[in-house]
Amino acid sequence: MATHEEINQSLEAFEKAYTGNSRLKVMNRDWDRNVLILAEDIESVHTLTLKGGNLSFGQGKIAEPDLTVISNSDILADMFFGDITPTEPYMNGTLRIIGSEDDILRLDFISLLIWGE
Amino acid sequence: MKRIVSVSLGSSRRDHSVNTKLLGIDFEISRRGTDGNFDKALDLLKELDGNVDAIGLGGIDLYLYAGKTRYAVSDGLKLMEAVKKTPVVDGSGLKNTLERETVYYLRRNSRLLPDGCKVLMVSAVDRFGMAEALTEMGCEMTFGDLIFSAGIPYPIKSVEELEEIARKTLPEMTKMPFHMLYPTGEKQDTQDQKKVEKHGHYYHEADVIAGDYHLVRRYMPGDLKGQVVITNTTTRDDVKFLKEKGVGWLVTTTPELEGRSFGTNVMEAALVVLLGKNWEDITPGDYLELMNRLQMKPRVQRL
Repeated sequence: MATHEEINQSLEAFEKAYTGNSRLKVMNRDWDRNVLILAEDIESVHTLTLKGGNLSFGQGKIAEPDLTVISNSDILADMFFGDITPTEPYMNGTLRIIGSEDDILRLDFISLLIWGE
Repeated sequence: MKRIVSVSLGSSRRDHSVNTKLLGIDFEISRRGTDGNFDKALDLLKELDGNVDAIGLGGIDLYLYAGKTRYAVSDGLKLMEAVKKTPVVDGSGLKNTLERETVYYLRRNSRLLPDGCKVLMVSAVDRFGMAEALTEMGCEMTFGDLIFSAGIPYPIKSVEELEEIARKTLPEMTKMPFHMLYPTGEKQDTQDQKKVEKHGHYYHEADVIAGDYHLVRRYMPGDLKGQVVITNTTTRDDVKFLKEKGVGWLVTTTPELEGRSFGTNVMEAALVVLLGKNWEDITPGDYLELMNRLQMKPRVQRL
């Protein structure tokens, strides 16, 4: 089981990798979204915010979400650290994403463009 | 009589059957759509296995490409593995050869593809050969893979960048349900109006629009100014649709049989039967030689 702090660190790593990728900022300049990250096995809630191509995150629910990502703490930490891709947990149901299919696909692409081989 | 059936995840409204003769051999070629119903496609494939000479898989790709590396599409593999006895192909083997040749043919025999012309490929990872050939011909390329598949308004401008992005995304994206990546079933008969409005300008800015017909159709805006469309499979209704949108020329990469061009998977299935070799043993040279014997040329049509 990962801790809230580990999930926080994984999101910091994700934010850093995103911010260092100028192409991703161009790709997402039209995509303003709030993404709620919920761990189901520990008390841990974060919000990722994409606005004008920039990404930031904060602890707790800080805005009404367009997308909600729910999984256990290990998967969330592993995913945002880039140790696993979201595809497999998403396909086997251990990662749930609530939102439109287009937004889910786009979030998946962003993750792959950050961490993909 | 050789029987070839194309089983497609696409709409059954496009079903069609023709009898034709290739190199003196009679063929019955038919297409059966399953309206996006994956299980129905699986059942149909099992029913046909061992009872026809070759099967084409339509409306789905078995492989997507990042340069020379190919990635198997999970859903496509599941369909292929349902067939145990009959040769089954998705068109990807022939596509690489046929579509490259189409580009070279147009450069040699028409003014539709001049040096420096602006080409929009709605998707290129499903036809990397065409992407490379168009680049080789000096076309100014826009690859719309991210724009139309992922909704990310980022035009990829070179084969190198396409390959780099494909290497990062394809290994995982090919595991997703195919309907998340490509219009299947009734989506093939409708347009995505939101994306048409948002991304239609890429069509207007291009001289040539190339790629899979269902993708070309799904995002095509109106008021085009006589652009050239290079694609694979069209019916009479499709030709009417393209004309209404303002397309000037239609080039289809597979030859016409009784008023319509069949999918590359169908043509590959026919060629596999004619070659009488295992699919894995067939080389691009085999396809090229047979295409020359059949005098296969792209269909170029003024709309």
